[in-house]
Formats: sequence, C-alpha cells, structure tokens
Amino acid sequence: MNPIDELRAARPAHLGDTPVDERTRAAELSYAMSRPRSARQKRRTVRPVWGFSLVGAAAAATAVAVVVSGTGGTTPRAPDAAPATVASSTPKVRLSARDILLTAAAKAARQPAGTGAYWHTATVQRTLYAVEGADYLVMDRQRNERWTPSATRGDLWSSTKPLGARPATAADEEAWKQAGSPAEIPVKPRPMTLSTSPRKMSTGHSPLTDGDKVFWLGRNVTTKDLRGLPSDPAKLKAWLLRSYERNSTESSSDPTPADTWLFSVSAGLITDMPVTPQVRGAAFRMLAALDAVDVIENVTDAEGRQGTAVAIEERTKGSGVMENRLIFDQATGRGLAYENVVVKPAGLQSTFEPGTVWYSQAVLEAGWTDSKPSF
Amino acid sequence: MTDDAHRFTGMYDGCRQRVWAYVVSRAGRQVADEVVSETFAIAWRRLDDVPEPALPWLLGVARNVLRDNIRAETRREALNAELRAWTEGDVADQVTERLGVLRALAELPEDDREVLLLIAWQGLSPKDAARVVGCSSAAFRVRLHRARKRLKQAMEPAGQSRTRVRNLSEEWS
Repeated sequence: MNPIDELRAARPAHLGDTPVDERTRAAELSYAMSRPRSARQKRRTVRPVWGFSLVGAAAAATAVAVVVSGTGGTTPRAPDAAPATVASSTPKVRLSARDILLTAAAKAARQPAGTGAYWHTATVQRTLYAVEGADYLVMDRQRNERWTPSATRGDLWSSTKPLGARPATAADEEAWKQAGSPAEIPVKPRPMTLSTSPRKMSTGHSPLTDGDKVFWLGRNVTTKDLRGLPSDPAKLKAWLLRSYERNSTESSSDPTPADTWLFSVSAGLITDMPVTPQVRGAAFRMLAALDAVDVIENVTDAEGRQGTAVAIEERTKGSGVMENRLIFDQATGRGLAYENVVVKPAGLQSTFEPGTVWYSQAVLEAGWTDSKPSF
Repeated sequence: MTDDAHRFTGMYDGCRQRVWAYVVSRAGRQVADEVVSETFAIAWRRLDDVPEPALPWLLGVARNVLRDNIRAETRREALNAELRAWTEGDVADQVTERLGVLRALAELPEDDREVLLLIAWQGLSPKDAARVVGCSSAAFRVRLHRARKRLKQAMEPAGQSRTRVRNLSEEWS
C-alpha cells in the first residue's frame, strides 16, 4: 500500500465524515448568519433577514466602562472614551428587571397599529475591527434601508451606504494619525481592508424570495405569517422554538443556544419586523420570562440615544463571553438598537477590552409607508 | 430558504466536519470549534467570494484564523494532546499498522503533516491543497513528495513495512 493510502486508512474515527451534532450545527449556523455581510458584497438575491441581529451591526464607536459584579454581571454605562474601568458607583438595577420589561410590554402593545404598502426600516450598523499590524481599533459603519412590500409579488427595495471606517476612540485616532492616517486600513482577519471614506450608495430592488418571504425566523416567513404570530407569550415562544429546532427539548434556565436565539428573535420582533403591537408586547413578556436576562438602565446607544437595555450573556466558542443587548425606549417600548458587548474576550474579539461594544445596529426608522424610494 | 441561506447551509453541511478535522489535526480539539465557528462566520460574510467547490477556500480561511488568533504555544500543547490521543487509542481499537502510521505521522514536522493530511484525509487534489497552504502547485508537489518520503522512513523502523517501493511516476499521475 502506498503511504498515502495507509494514512487514509488510519484516519481516527472521530475525524471522519460523521455528521455534526444538531446543537453544534444550530449554534454555528446562527453564529455565522447573525454576523453582518461584507460591505463589498453585491447583493443579487434577496435574503430575508434573520431578525434584527442579522441585519447588521450597529455601531459602537466607543468603549463603555463596565462593572463586573460578584455574580458575573456587567453594568455598561454611558459611552466613554476611557478604557474599561471599575466604576462601582453605577450599580446595576436588578430589582425590577421583570417589572421594567412588563411595563415595556404594555407600552409596546399600546402603540398604534399601522399599515401601508411598505414596511420601511433605516439602520446604521457598526462593527469594530482590530487593525492588522498595528495597535488600534477602527469602527466600520454602514447605513442600510429597506422597503418590504406588504403585497405578495411586490418587490423589495433596498439601499446600502458604506459610511467608511474610522478610529474607534480618541486614543485610536491618535494611533491612526501616528501611522500616517492611512485611508485604506488592513484589519483582522486578513485579507480584509477597510476604507475611511464613504462610498457610493448602492440601491436595488428584487422580487421576494419565493414571491412572498420577507424575514427569517428559523424558517422563511411571509408578511402574513408575521401578522398572524400569537400575541400570547407562551404560544409565541412555542411557535418560535418549533421553527428553530424541531427536536429541541425544553430548555433550562441556563442561557442555552435556544435562549440566546429566542432573545435575538425577540429583539427582531420588537425592533424591526412588521408585527402587530400586541406581538411586540408578547415578545417583551417572553423576554421577561427568561431567567437568563438582565436589565440595565441608563444605557446610551451608538447614536447617542438614552434607553434601557435588556441583555443576555452568551458563551462563545473558546470560552469567551459576549453580552447581547437590546436597547429600548422605556416610555414607548420601541426598540432603539441591538449591541454585542465583549464580556470575556476570546477568538476574534480577544484583543478587545471587556465592555467594548464590538457590533451594533441602531434603528433610525421602522414603520409603514405608502411610497417606495425613487431610485 | 433564500438562495444565499440555502447555499450557505448546504456548504456548511458538506464541509463542516472536514474543516473541523483539519483544524483538529493542526491545533487539537480544544480550539477547533471556535476556529470552525469563525471560519463559517467569515464564509457567510463573504459568501459571494466563496468559489465552488468551497472546501479548499474554507480550509484556507481556517488556516488564517488559526494563525491569526490562536497563540502558537496554545496550539502546540493542544496538538500534542491530540496526537497522543491518536496514537494511544482505544485498546479495542489497536490495529497495529494503523497505530504505526499515526505514530509516524505524529513524529513528522508540522508542515509535512499538514501537506499529507490535506491529501489523505481532506481528499484534496494537490492543486487545491496548494491553494490552501498558499504555494504553487509545483512547490506543493515537491513538498508532498518529501513529506511522503519522511512518512515512509518514520513508518519503517516501527514495524515491517509491507509497502512496495513505488516510482515517482506512479504517484499523483
């Protein structure tokens, strides 16, 4: 036998082509598909977005300071150019987390139920990158708009405007200047390069997937599916879990991939999907029933808006920990932004300080309109 | 499912375990899931750049993720543990020749091992494997030839070699 054949025959069984287990598969697919697509991408086909967390990332131009409490929780406070510091004078508000969410549920459910020819969203996503071969961070920014038709067989219209990358903090800006203020910045992972200048807006329209699918909630859904979601939190949860993983067992109170997934789906329902106000309320109530969530008051999003955050921690591969949070306006129950915060750095985020918002998406507009864009 | 999501999940299902096996053979099991996860996150982000077949491209990305994100000594330690696991094996699973090959493999320099496994375990053609490691096809064939020779040498003292000598022209023709 030739040595290559012998080698082939000697492959240990666990490195063979056995199928990946379902839980890992679901976690890895959701991890990958919840990341923003490349700004350079030319979109030829319409991809329903996976809720809010998938559309992109909002921006967190600044690091926030955190308090790591004895229980492992974090308390981000207002954006601050300084690196993470212990600021024990801003304790986490824990007492009424559930009440805060139930209040938000009631407020959200009372918002007027609009209708229109198009569901229009405008968002700014921001993603933090470590610069290759240098010791500073840059934030890439992009504005996305989308007009989703309420009529089946209508076209989905969209625009993408790369706003350019810029140094994340004042200290990063100093380092960038020291490096000669490059306009093209190589970032990790190679071979990605970001440009500091805004680029031309790309626009387009295309038929809906299968003629009527507009979003993805574990499976593709139509506008009608979204409008028909149950407004009872337990039924809503069951509906979503069926769609997420057919064989899933009841989850415990630990932040499992299913809980994390439910969290990001709820964020999408609350923030940028055309569901009824009652379903938005149910999504808040579903969040209130998850033991793994925390509520943090007085949070500022990447657009500088003040709000309250509901957050869940997610263990990432390689024993890192990330906090996913939805920032909402407590007075109206309206979603403002979705952010990912480094709690325990690992992997591609290993160079980021704990407390750094490394991916965020701020919603500037989400509502019904009768007119489509003129481009 | 949309075209993109359909293509991506198909690609994931078709290649995930191969990418995982490659990473395990380079850096052990501890970091493998993390690297695989990042690799597919990059593939999703750059889906329009991913060629067909996707496996060589994915392995190349995994290789970069490993190099850029996993500290060399972490990788070495985890890999040594993995190689020990291969060669100690299960008692029930102790097929002598198999263990002999794996022991020989574990003794090789890392570059040799990578080149051999891309061919033998990942099933790549030398041309695709060259793309993964970032060299020309010609350079890869030279590296492969040398690696095979060293593997053979490493296999021989351990037991009676029953492999007949082959001419270069019989290989990879």
